Amino acid sequence: MASNAPFQFAGDSDSDDENFNPAPAEASDDEDAGVARNASRNDDRRASSPAADDDDDEDEVRPSKSASKRSRGADDEDDEGEEEEEEEDTGANKNGYDDDEEEEDEDDDDDDDVQHRHRRKRRKDHRAAFFDIEAEVEDEDEAEDEEKDGEEIEDFIDNAHPDDIAESGHLDDDRRHRQLDRIRELEDSMDAEKQAEILQLRYGKRAPARGYGEMAVVPKRLLLPSVDDPGIWAVRCKEGKERDVVFSIMRRIEERAGGKDEVPITAAFERGGPNSVMKGYIYVEARRQNDIMIALDGVLDVYPRSKMILVELKDMPDLLRVVKTPNLEPGAWVRLKKPAKHAGDLAQVVDVTENGLEARVRFIPRLDYGVRDDSITADGKRKRPGMPGPRPPQRLFSEIEARKRQPRYIQGNPQTNTWTYMGEDFENGFQVKDIKIQQLDVKDVNPTLEEVTKFASGSEDGTENLDLKALAASLKDSNTNVAYVPGDVIEVYEGEQRGVVGKAINVQGDIVTLRVSEGDLAGQTIEVPNKGLRKRFREGDHVKVIGGSRFRDEVGMIVKIVEDRVTLLTDQTHTEVTVFSKDLREASDIGGQGSLGQYSLLDLVQLDPTTVACIVKVDRESMVVLDQNGDTRQVMPSQIANKLPKRRTAVAADRNGSEIRLDDVVREYGGQQRQGKIIHIHRSYIFLHSNATTENAGVFVTRAGNVNTIAAKGGRVTNQNTGPDLTAMNPALKRNPAQNQMPPPKTFGRDRALGQTVSIRRGGYKGLMGIVKDTTDTSARVELHGKNKIINIPKNDLIFKDKITGKTIDIYSRGGRGGFGGPGRGGFSGDRMGGSRTPMGAAGGERTPAWGASKSTARTPAWGRAEASGSRTPAWGDGSRTVNPYDGNRTAYGDGNRTAYGGATSYGGGSRTPAWSSSAKTPAHDGFGHGSKTPAYGSGGSSDPWGSKTPAYGVSAPTPGATGGGSADSWGYTPGPIDAPTPGAGLSAPTPAALNAPTPGAYSAPTPAAVSAPTPGAWQGGWGADAATPAVGAPTPAASGGYYGAPTPAAYGGAPETPAASGEIRYADDD
Amino acid sequence: MSENFVAPGQQRYLRACMVCSIVMTYSRFRDEGCPNCEEFLHLQGSPDQIESCTSQVFEGVITLSDPTRSWVAKWQRLDKYVRGVYATKVSGQLPDDVRTTIEEEYRITYIPRDGSATEAD
Repeated sequence: MASNAPFQFAGDSDSDDENFNPAPAEASDDEDAGVARNASRNDDRRASSPAADDDDDEDEVRPSKSASKRSRGADDEDDEGEEEEEEEDTGANKNGYDDDEEEEDEDDDDDDDVQHRHRRKRRKDHRAAFFDIEAEVEDEDEAEDEEKDGEEIEDFIDNAHPDDIAESGHLDDDRRHRQLDRIRELEDSMDAEKQAEILQLRYGKRAPARGYGEMAVVPKRLLLPSVDDPGIWAVRCKEGKERDVVFSIMRRIEERAGGKDEVPITAAFERGGPNSVMKGYIYVEARRQNDIMIALDGVLDVYPRSKMILVELKDMPDLLRVVKTPNLEPGAWVRLKKPAKHAGDLAQVVDVTENGLEARVRFIPRLDYGVRDDSITADGKRKRPGMPGPRPPQRLFSEIEARKRQPRYIQGNPQTNTWTYMGEDFENGFQVKDIKIQQLDVKDVNPTLEEVTKFASGSEDGTENLDLKALAASLKDSNTNVAYVPGDVIEVYEGEQRGVVGKAINVQGDIVTLRVSEGDLAGQTIEVPNKGLRKRFREGDHVKVIGGSRFRDEVGMIVKIVEDRVTLLTDQTHTEVTVFSKDLREASDIGGQGSLGQYSLLDLVQLDPTTVACIVKVDRESMVVLDQNGDTRQVMPSQIANKLPKRRTAVAADRNGSEIRLDDVVREYGGQQRQGKIIHIHRSYIFLHSNATTENAGVFVTRAGNVNTIAAKGGRVTNQNTGPDLTAMNPALKRNPAQNQMPPPKTFGRDRALGQTVSIRRGGYKGLMGIVKDTTDTSARVELHGKNKIINIPKNDLIFKDKITGKTIDIYSRGGRGGFGGPGRGGFSGDRMGGSRTPMGAAGGERTPAWGASKSTARTPAWGRAEASGSRTPAWGDGSRTVNPYDGNRTAYGDGNRTAYGGATSYGGGSRTPAWSSSAKTPAHDGFGHGSKTPAYGSGGSSDPWGSKTPAYGVSAPTPGATGGGSADSWGYTPGPIDAPTPGAGLSAPTPAALNAPTPGAYSAPTPAAVSAPTPGAWQGGWGADAATPAVGAPTPAASGGYYGAPTPAAYGGAPETPAASGEIRYADDD
Repeated sequence: MSENFVAPGQQRYLRACMVCSIVMTYSRFRDEGCPNCEEFLHLQGSPDQIESCTSQVFEGVITLSDPTRSWVAKWQRLDKYVRGVYATKVSGQLPDDVRTTIEEEYRITYIPRDGSATEAD
């Protein structure tokens, strides 16, 4: 209770603030009055309130102490004031405090003194503890009304121990208190200056060691350079040689020291280093610039003669700024620089030496367990150590493997799983090594989650013991790289504003301005350094990975958030990945279909002039495409020539000839009967998308001619039910309805090509001869004569030769003559597949006979020739139509013709038509122009003529030939012309093209009309003949034959160039 | 004679005193001790002490020709030291016991040379 009184006083004085100014001097000033007042008050109190704990010794002490207090007076001096003084005593008496006080004393002044002592009180001995306790009790009382409380307390105390005061007393305490009081009085009586002197005497006796002292005390701000200090110049030097230069200068300084040519500079320094911005310079301190010239003259690698830069006063301290390298903490992540084998590998700090210069790190070893350890290479030379070679992959240490090859080098303890192998230590599979910190990259470590995970999963029990704290610490550096953009929702997780969530509204350098959206600060705008920030997301947010994670560019939905680790379910692969929230950004592209630059999933792209492909997968840097041939390949964006815009208007014809457009649903005719929606139409290829399979993103490719329409978009009529019935218009079909249903390729029986001697007319094997060993519809396996090799070659690229004579032959047409079936089929298959229909005509079952007849009779020779030469040309010539398109026959044909031909076209399978229409007649003239055909036609020239003409042709049988041959007059000659010219001319080449062509569209358009109109008459008859063929008899046949029969075979059989070449050419032209 | 000069080939043996930041080769520390701090560091002939009180990791080499007149020296608090080569930054920490000793027995305020002191300014 000794302290009761003083506390009471404090309460009385009513101001805690004053506590801090209990200047001893002041106290002494007031002494008398204070004493008086205190005395009276204390008397009352003491008399009536002898302390609550009368049992305690303290109580007994109290009288004397309070007496002393009274004497000391100073109303406004509170307990603290008192204690200070007590402290001084203790300070004086106890050496234990010396150390602490020394420092403080050094910059003592009176005020400080007091405050220091206040501070010190807190950590004082038992007495302090005692006072504090009492003070707390008292404080409560103080809060109440003084007077009343006082009384109450008095009463209370009174009752408790009325006699203690007088009777009891502990001598010890008594003595101490009295002593204290005496000292205090003494001190009080001195003024501040004297006290200071005493203190100085007491504590200031030690002199600092040489070289220290003041230096430590003078704050840096007082050391700032002034104009009186020497200047500092930056002098260029060779990069990397900074330190050498500085040492050279040292040498020069020392060499010339004491002489008359003393180096006139005061200092020189460098702040080089590979990453320093100050490399390439040394800084020299001297009075005058000229001094530097003198000093540096002749020193290697430094160029004082180049421009020297005077460093401004205010910049000088910055030259010497030192930034502390962050201390490595166990658990931190670093990258190794030194063991070359491990350069760049992530390592974790296990321990750091006391001086912080060396760290024990663990990392995943790269061991080959001696597999590649032959110190002698194959050629008998010694390998040079450190020779660059492939470094083994990172793998945890395996005792078993180590024992396998080099059991001698391994020793260790299986229990603890620590091993020593080849002089290296391994613990739990990790290599553990002491490495100097110079050899560690401590900054910008940026460990990826994957790397770190390897360490985590490395623990023996397989549990994840990922130390995220350390990881986060390691990432802190990189954290500064986090770019926040206005609009990001950000959470403050560190510092005073911790917990605040808001939306970034501005980002400037490291400062992010947030508009707080939650909590008390809602609505306010605060600025926070981006250090303690992280992006905030909620589960369910759709986000995109942007940062350095390997999952970059994945888009997905957040399913879990732990601290700043976010787990998301990716849209594309539906896998869960975990990344740091800093690597995420709210995704704006909702679909989540990946895209790469301008290319996105399902786009049609051009890979090279002949190849297009559909993108079926987009990765971060590459994509997978499905090309028109059905192959998938991975390509880089750079390998893509360009992106083909979707052509809404693209149209193709399915195998029934009905038009198909984008978004129609079609099904493959043969094969896997896959069904899908058309996403792209490119020439005769269509890319389909199906939900039935995920392979290639559900995309597959097929040919337009190989699908059936299931449902046309918008209920467009298909040819089954409606409108212009193409079937009806198709002369070919008309001629032989049965064919229509005939499955496309299917050849029956043995392919005529088998066993034929052929020569290859295109590609790498061009010109080589061989024998066909096997065939499919489109290609043949050919055993080469020259090389012992069997190759696959498209049939179109083969020229069939007579085994004996070596003459080019047309096996199909021949077959035709020989027997119907054979050739016919061949023709067909060819058509359908190759896209050239012509054969059909040829096949025209019934017709064939007709042809045969005709051939045998009249034509034959002509045909023979034609075929031999190249084939169809003649046919075309006859039919003229075919020819027309190419040669420009059309002209000759005129509209009327055309139409008629259109029929043919249709027959063609819808190919060419467009060609026809487009190129129309003009060319015709040219081509045939020479041939004068025009006139001939001319007569028949008009469409009407056709009808008539045909017959004419037919009649003259040869006429066709004539046509080909060219002059109108020549008609008579027919034979002549037929032989040579026709074929030779436009025919050979072009025809096929015409056939192949996709034309459908065109087809549908012009032809029909025409057909219906003019042709019908003439042709119909002929065709209808079907059966008519015979009817056609000799002449007609010629014409019709020209169309169907004749040419076709040629095309096929002759295959030679026509089909293929023409086909391609055509395409190009068409497009 | 140029005793403070260190040829480039020898520079890898350089160490810097963690107290005064003077840069010398290991052998000089061993043979002569630290010219400024020998009084309390006792580096001479004591490899262990050299190991713990000097650091191989330092940067920003300063050659001091006239410590008393140089502002650089003053700023680096080197103005009472001998002429020589010093470092602006010495990484590493003085062992606690050594630090306590020099501060208590020799009344020297230890100035960390690793950059931690500048932050306080």
